[in-house]
Amino acid sequence: MLEQQLVNGLTLGVIYALIAVGYTMVYGVIELINFAHGEVYMIGAFLCVTFITAVGLPFYVSMLLAMICAAAIGVSIDRIAYRPLRSSPRLAVLITAIGMSIFLQNLAMIIWGSRPVPFPQDAVPAYLKLTAIEFSGVHLSWLQLFIFAVTFSMMLLLYVIINHTRMGTAMRALAQNRTCSQLMGVNVNRVIAFTFALGSSMGAVAGVLVAVYYNTLSPTMGYVAGVKAFAAAVLGGIGSVPGAMLGGIVLGIAEALGAGYVSSLYRDGVAYAVLIAVIIFRPSGLLGKALVEKA
Amino acid sequence: MPKKFILPLFLAVALAFPLLPMSNDYVLHVVTLVVVYMVLAMGLNVLPGFCGLLDLGFVGFYGVGAYTAGLLTVHYGVSLWIMVPAAVLNGALWGVVLGVPTLRLSGDYFAIVTFGFAELVVLFLTNEIWLTRGPLGLPGIDPVSVDLSFLNPAWIYEFEGERPYFYLGLAMLVLVYLTMRRLEDSRLGRAWLAIREDQLAAASCGVNIYAYKIIAFGISAGVGALAGCFFARWTLFLSPDMFKFWESFLILCMVVLGGLGNIHGAMVGAAILIALGEVLRVVLPELGLPNEARFLVYGLIMICIMRFKPKGFFPKIAAAGESNPLIKRLRAQLEQHGGTAR
Repeated sequence: MLEQQLVNGLTLGVIYALIAVGYTMVYGVIELINFAHGEVYMIGAFLCVTFITAVGLPFYVSMLLAMICAAAIGVSIDRIAYRPLRSSPRLAVLITAIGMSIFLQNLAMIIWGSRPVPFPQDAVPAYLKLTAIEFSGVHLSWLQLFIFAVTFSMMLLLYVIINHTRMGTAMRALAQNRTCSQLMGVNVNRVIAFTFALGSSMGAVAGVLVAVYYNTLSPTMGYVAGVKAFAAAVLGGIGSVPGAMLGGIVLGIAEALGAGYVSSLYRDGVAYAVLIAVIIFRPSGLLGKALVEKA
Repeated sequence: MPKKFILPLFLAVALAFPLLPMSNDYVLHVVTLVVVYMVLAMGLNVLPGFCGLLDLGFVGFYGVGAYTAGLLTVHYGVSLWIMVPAAVLNGALWGVVLGVPTLRLSGDYFAIVTFGFAELVVLFLTNEIWLTRGPLGLPGIDPVSVDLSFLNPAWIYEFEGERPYFYLGLAMLVLVYLTMRRLEDSRLGRAWLAIREDQLAAASCGVNIYAYKIIAFGISAGVGALAGCFFARWTLFLSPDMFKFWESFLILCMVVLGGLGNIHGAMVGAAILIALGEVLRVVLPELGLPNEARFLVYGLIMICIMRFKPKGFFPKIAAAGESNPLIKRLRAQLEQHGGTAR
C-alpha cells in the first residue's frame, strides 16, 4: 500500500505546510518562535465548530469566519505578549511565547472541555466524503482534493501578497533589517500585525481541515501539530516560505511511511527525530540560507 | 541580619518543622514536594541562569532519573547506595549525550532540540511497554530503606510515613544548595557567567565555551535525575504522564519568577508556585473552574513577569555589571589609569 501511504502522507504534509508557513513568516520578520501558533490553529478549528453548532452557519461560512477570528487573535497575541518586549532579550520573548501557548491551551480546555469532540458531520457537505478518484487501489477522496485545492490557493495567494504588494515588500524589507526599513518609512508594528494576521488565518484553515479529515478535534491538538509544523519549517529552512511548504510535505510523507513501515507508536517521534537531526546537521534547512544567528 | 546566619536559621526551622503540631501528613507532603521542586529549580537554573541557555527539556532528565531508580528497584532491588549514583550518572550521561551535538547551537535552536529530547523521553516511556509498562505506570517501587548492615547487622531503617522522606529530601536540598553555592563562586561559575554575559568576549579571553557548557549540561541533568530518583522512591509510583512538557514549564516558571541565575530566587520561586498550586487546587473548584485553570494561571504569571518584571522578583543577572564587586573594582582601576569604562 505504498501509493496509498504516499497519498495520505501528502495530504497531511500540505496541512503541515499551511501551519508551518505561519511559523516561518513570523520568524522571518521578528525572529521569534511563536509557540502560540499551534494554539491558534486549534482555536480556529474550535471556532469553526462553534459557529456551526451554536450559530447554525454553513460549513464554508464558518470556516471563513474562523479565519477572520483567528487573524484577530493572532494580532492580539502579538499586541499583548510580544510587542511590549520588542527590545528585550530573546530568552524573555521565548518564555512569553511558551506562557501564551500554555495560557491559550488551558483557556480552550475551560471553554470547550478537555475531551476530544467529533466534528459535526451533518454540516460537512456530503460529497466531500465520497471517493473522487480510484486508481489501481489508491483512493483519493473529494475531501483530500478539497484540502489540496485550499492549500494550493492559499499558497498562491500568499505568494502574490509577499511578492507583488506593498505590504509584502515591507515584510521582506523588515526581514532583512528592521531599523533600516523603519528609516525608509515602514510602519513596523503594522507590518508585524499583518504578518500575524496572515499566518494565523492560514493556521485556522489548517485546523479546520484537520478536524474534518480526522473527524475529531481537541484542545491538545495544537501542541503536537505545532511541533510538527515547526519541524517542517526548520526542515525547509526557517524564514523561507517555499521551504516551509517543501518541509511540510517531506515531513508528512516521512511520517506516513514511518507509521506504516516502522512503528505507528512512534508516529509523533518522527517529527522530533527529524527536528533534532536537521537542527544538528543542517540548521539552515533544505532551502534556507546559511544561518547567522543575531544576538 | 548577617548573611551567614541565614542557612543555619533556615535549617533549624526546617528540622523542627515536622515536629510542630500543625504538620500533619498533608502539610508534610506538600513541603516535601516544595523541597523536590527547589532541587529541580536549582538544577535547571544552571543552564538558563548561569549559562544563558534555555533548556526546555529538563523534565526529560527528571524522568530518566526517576525511571532509572524505579526500574532498578523493581527489577533488581538494588540498595540506595547503588541506586542514587546510578540514577544521577545515567541522567548526567544523557545530558552529555544530548549536549555534545547540540551545544554548538545557540538560542532558540538549542531550546527546541532540548524540547524534542524531552518529548522523545516521554514517547519512549509510553511505548516501551516491556520495560516501563507504558501508560499503565510503574507500581511496586519499594520505600526507601537505609541499609547500614555492613557496619552493624541491626542498622536497617525502613522509611514509613512522610517524616523520614522530608528529612531525606532536606538532606538532598542542602547538598545541592551547597554544591550550587560553591559552583557559583568557583572558576567554573565565573566562566559560565562570562559565557552568559558575552560569549564572544569570553571565548576571546580563552574560556573554552564548549567544554564549560557540556559540564553545565551534565551537572544540570544530574541534579534533575537526583530529584527524579528521590521522587520515585517517595511516591512509589511512576507514569510517563508525570514527565510531560508542563513540568518543564512549571520549573522554568520557578526559576524565572525568582530571577534567572539566583539560587535563592529559584528556591523561593519553587515554594511560591507549589504553594500557589495547592491554594488554587482548593480555590478553583469553589469558583466552579476546572483543574486546567491552574496552568492558565501559570501561563499568565509567566507572561506578566516577562512583561512587568523581566528580570524576575529577585534579579541577579541584571545587576551583574553594576554590583559585582569584581567588576566594580576593575572599573575603578580603569578609571584610575585614565581609561574609559564602558
